[in-house]
Amino acid sequence: MSSDPAGTIYDIQGFSVQDGPGIRTTVFLKGCPLRCPWCHSPESRRFDIQLSWQSRRCIGTAVCGLCLVSCPRGAIVPAEGSQSTDTEDGLQLIRVDWDTCDDCGLCAAECPAGALSMWGKRYTVSEVVDRALRDRPFFEKSGGGVTISGGEPLSQAEFTLALLRALKENGLHTALDTTGFAPWAVVEKALPHVDLFLLDLKNMDGRAHNAAVGVPNQPILENARGIAAAGGKMQIRIPVIPRFNDSGGNLRALGKFVAELGEAVTLVQLLPYHALGVPKWERIKHDGPILEATAPSDKKIGELKAILEEYSLTIQVH
Amino acid sequence: MYEFSPVAPRVARVRKRYRDTKPKVCIERFKLVTEFYQNHPTLPPMIKRARNLLNLCERMPVVVHEDEFIVGELTSTYHGSALFPEYAIGWIFDEIRSGELLNRTLDPYDMDQEDIDYVMQFEDFWSKNDLSRLTDDALPPEFHDIVGNGIVTFGDKGTGAGPVGHFCANYDKAIRKGFSAIKREAQEKIDLMKGRLYGEDAQREQFYYAVTIVCDAAITLSKRYAAECRGQAAECGDEGRRAELIEMAEALDWIMQNPARTYHEAVQCLYLYQIVLSLDGNLHGLTFGRVDQYLNSFYESDLAAGRITRERAQEILDLFCLKVAEMNKIWPSFATMAAGGYTSGQLITVGGIKKDGTDATNEVTYMLLECARRLALHDPPMSLRIHEGTPDKLWDIAVETTRACGGVPTFESDKVIIPALLDRGLSLESARNYCLIGCVEPGGCGDDWPANGGPGQETFWRIPGAVLLAINNGENPMPRPDGQPQRQTGLPTGYLYDMKSFDEVLEATKKQIEHFIDWHVSFCSVREYVARHHMPLPVVSATMDGCLESGKDVMYGGAKYNGTGFAGVGIGTATDSLVAIKYMVFDRKLCTAREFYDALMANWEGHETFRQRIMKEIPHYGNDLDYPDEIAEWISKVITEKVRSCTGPRGNHWSAGLYPVATHVAWGKMTWATPDGRRTGEPLSDGISPIQCMDTSGPAATLKSALRIDHRHSANGTLLNMKFHPKALEGGGKDKLIALIKTYFDLDGMELQFNIASSEMLRDAQLHPDAHKDLVVRIAGFSAYFVELHKGLQDDVIRRTELDLA
Repeated sequence: MSSDPAGTIYDIQGFSVQDGPGIRTTVFLKGCPLRCPWCHSPESRRFDIQLSWQSRRCIGTAVCGLCLVSCPRGAIVPAEGSQSTDTEDGLQLIRVDWDTCDDCGLCAAECPAGALSMWGKRYTVSEVVDRALRDRPFFEKSGGGVTISGGEPLSQAEFTLALLRALKENGLHTALDTTGFAPWAVVEKALPHVDLFLLDLKNMDGRAHNAAVGVPNQPILENARGIAAAGGKMQIRIPVIPRFNDSGGNLRALGKFVAELGEAVTLVQLLPYHALGVPKWERIKHDGPILEATAPSDKKIGELKAILEEYSLTIQVH
Repeated sequence: MYEFSPVAPRVARVRKRYRDTKPKVCIERFKLVTEFYQNHPTLPPMIKRARNLLNLCERMPVVVHEDEFIVGELTSTYHGSALFPEYAIGWIFDEIRSGELLNRTLDPYDMDQEDIDYVMQFEDFWSKNDLSRLTDDALPPEFHDIVGNGIVTFGDKGTGAGPVGHFCANYDKAIRKGFSAIKREAQEKIDLMKGRLYGEDAQREQFYYAVTIVCDAAITLSKRYAAECRGQAAECGDEGRRAELIEMAEALDWIMQNPARTYHEAVQCLYLYQIVLSLDGNLHGLTFGRVDQYLNSFYESDLAAGRITRERAQEILDLFCLKVAEMNKIWPSFATMAAGGYTSGQLITVGGIKKDGTDATNEVTYMLLECARRLALHDPPMSLRIHEGTPDKLWDIAVETTRACGGVPTFESDKVIIPALLDRGLSLESARNYCLIGCVEPGGCGDDWPANGGPGQETFWRIPGAVLLAINNGENPMPRPDGQPQRQTGLPTGYLYDMKSFDEVLEATKKQIEHFIDWHVSFCSVREYVARHHMPLPVVSATMDGCLESGKDVMYGGAKYNGTGFAGVGIGTATDSLVAIKYMVFDRKLCTAREFYDALMANWEGHETFRQRIMKEIPHYGNDLDYPDEIAEWISKVITEKVRSCTGPRGNHWSAGLYPVATHVAWGKMTWATPDGRRTGEPLSDGISPIQCMDTSGPAATLKSALRIDHRHSANGTLLNMKFHPKALEGGGKDKLIALIKTYFDLDGMELQFNIASSEMLRDAQLHPDAHKDLVVRIAGFSAYFVELHKGLQDDVIRRTELDLA
């Protein structure tokens, strides 16, 4: 390969079973143009490498304290009292002053316990491909492959396109997990190298969409139509968020829209909101409002599923 | 999805009785054996053991409980435990005196005061006559010089207890041939040589004579049960039950003596032979073997003749499995920490291929898995043999079963195990007919004496201990129980701080490994020598292929095939330990050897940041990384090559294995801090699994790492434990799990076992045991009800990396 572009990745997971067919290796790219308050991976939103603080791992300033002296900006200070719920009582933990922290990473380099660490790492395309190829025997047996997810992978367009090309050159099945919020020119370039799009659709009401996640839905819907017209395959994923998009009206509009995409759509997945991502927010610098809501009931999900089924769609609840 | 059949009301009643009954120690066997041993001090052991068994079969209480259809008991009380004083009994006197016996938190038992008083009268007699003491007395003095080495798990007094066990008798022969024919065969051998005993004929004749006695014993017991059923029938007011009791009596009158004629008779014979074996032999890993292969032809012919329905056959098998579950043996209190949950290891193997190479799956295969799943039983444990032609439906029920019943079944690969057994010298037919023994040990089914550790007790060997001795001049850093430092027990290989390169560390490790494997083999040889003299096994030999032909007991090498198993524990911990030294001291030079050594010998006290840095920075085994995996491969190669070069008293080669039952927790407690950052007393890694929670790259990477270990040359078994979050199996997750197992086996992996449970659920079960009474989990070599386990083992299951996935 003449050029080997690099991208910012925050995780690579082997044996990912929820992100497309078969056993998959999922590559999570960092950075997203959307600001969904229910985001279950808040560490994926910023494009730059950022500090993470996990109290559970901290061994306390009495035996360690290396981070306190490592920070040139004084952003790490002893916490008031013990904040740890998982460690023994009486451990003097630290607190990150997020307003002062500039994510320089000096403390994470010093932290021996991995309580302070950096979300995000630069990888070249060939490094990612080498990693994925190690799992090849498992892909073959299960009909799996590689899923590129995020964040929004199409926001790191050059890297993602090069990675998709390289994966296809190696004969691997590719899936692209996307918000759909990207210029059509980028989507069009990705199309020949993507076996399956995992496309999020949230709300057919453009104003509500914009108000909640900070971007309009129009480009997303147009991209969905474009993919369908170009012969691409899609799994549509609908997060069910209380009071944002769980009305019957919205589901009907979604159902109608998806039905019109025709055979391009292989499956529609309902992803009920859950609060499991909330604790992750505590680990990083906040960059937007956080939704803390009750998960929708099975009954509610059943009703929404029934609505979509009126449009002759195959529905799966995750 | 596989559709499970409903549980018959009678089966549900029996299961409830089983789960609601607290086991009780019964002294009937103790009384009869004590009386017999005291009255017959001079009988030669071969005849003594046979006549002791006959005495038991003639005089043990025969008990038929309500609702039972398959019968046989080791005790007079329901769900009781017999005592086996002639093997090892010293611990019970200690526990009675300390009051611990009736106050156990784990595996609690009741025992009547008058029974306690009775047993105590014989402390002096048995403390001089049990096999444990006889083994202690036989150990030459040099063995005491290596006590406390931290690698070989015996060498001290009282550690020779536990045999005989871990084998699979030929149940198929008992069912299809009967003991009358076997006795006749032995008698013919005697007739051929009588009056003309040349050479070793006298010994052979003694053996044949013993076989004739145990055949009588087996037949006698069966007929006594028949009489009991008839007696109950006469007094039974319920017409249906009366007819059933008569049916049972007719079967019991016929079987054992004659070849079984029906499915019911075959199941009853299988169970009653197990009772006879257990009355003789200490109930320790007495493995059932390929039960689906024994029973299916009977099922099919009954079905064809209209004598049985699928429902009735399932009910009989359910009742059989519940009878097995009821059997238990009281262990010393300290052992319950390593293997609690009333487990007795009567492993059943299902599936695989037949002797002719075709798929062996049959209706009984499914029915057995249905027993485990529907009744939530961890006992009998089950192993499923997988091959290329394993039907999808069997995969389906197997995954559904392990989902509900952690570790039941384990998955075993014919592709690796059959060649491994061919390597051991088994014929193609015998290798194809293998079963799993005890926990995960492949062996011949009814033709092989695979005796783990000589007389058939698992003999564990702590790999991390060899690393510690290698860098500490042959001294175990763990102080003796009295607080005094250990003596130097290993080779003087120098100290880490004097070693100039990592190669020197490896060289020292290799020397200690080889040195202590030799000691291990030496100890097992003495144990086997002593055990075979005192505890020959004519009741096993009567059916085992090769014994009647050769005129030798299994303990003397009479079986068609012979082996000795070896069980290495903690390869994950040992690997990461060597990785830590290589990475921190020699490759990255992040510290000096002296600093590393001092911190380790201080159990990391005052060095917490350093310890954390080691755990954070080093590449860990279990993540498909060459750096650690090459070391795992090296360790496994050093061990397997050395073990395979050793020979045992039956002229057999040893075979290597890597599995721990659940001793990785108990022996972690007795192992000093290790270079990977583990603190003194924390658990070791289990089987070939990575260190708990250090496999952070997902299951595919874990399996790729495990594949660096040479499975084909670990003929005594490997064990890889994985835990999945229940969510991972939803949707298409089940198919993906199956694909994962298939890939591992394609790449020459040997064994996999799963817990499908979330950490939240397990923590909740610790807090609210009553709400999770039936939660079965796999620990390492066995499954158990989670709430009946030692907290250390519970925590170990929880701590395992949960593969719950995006």
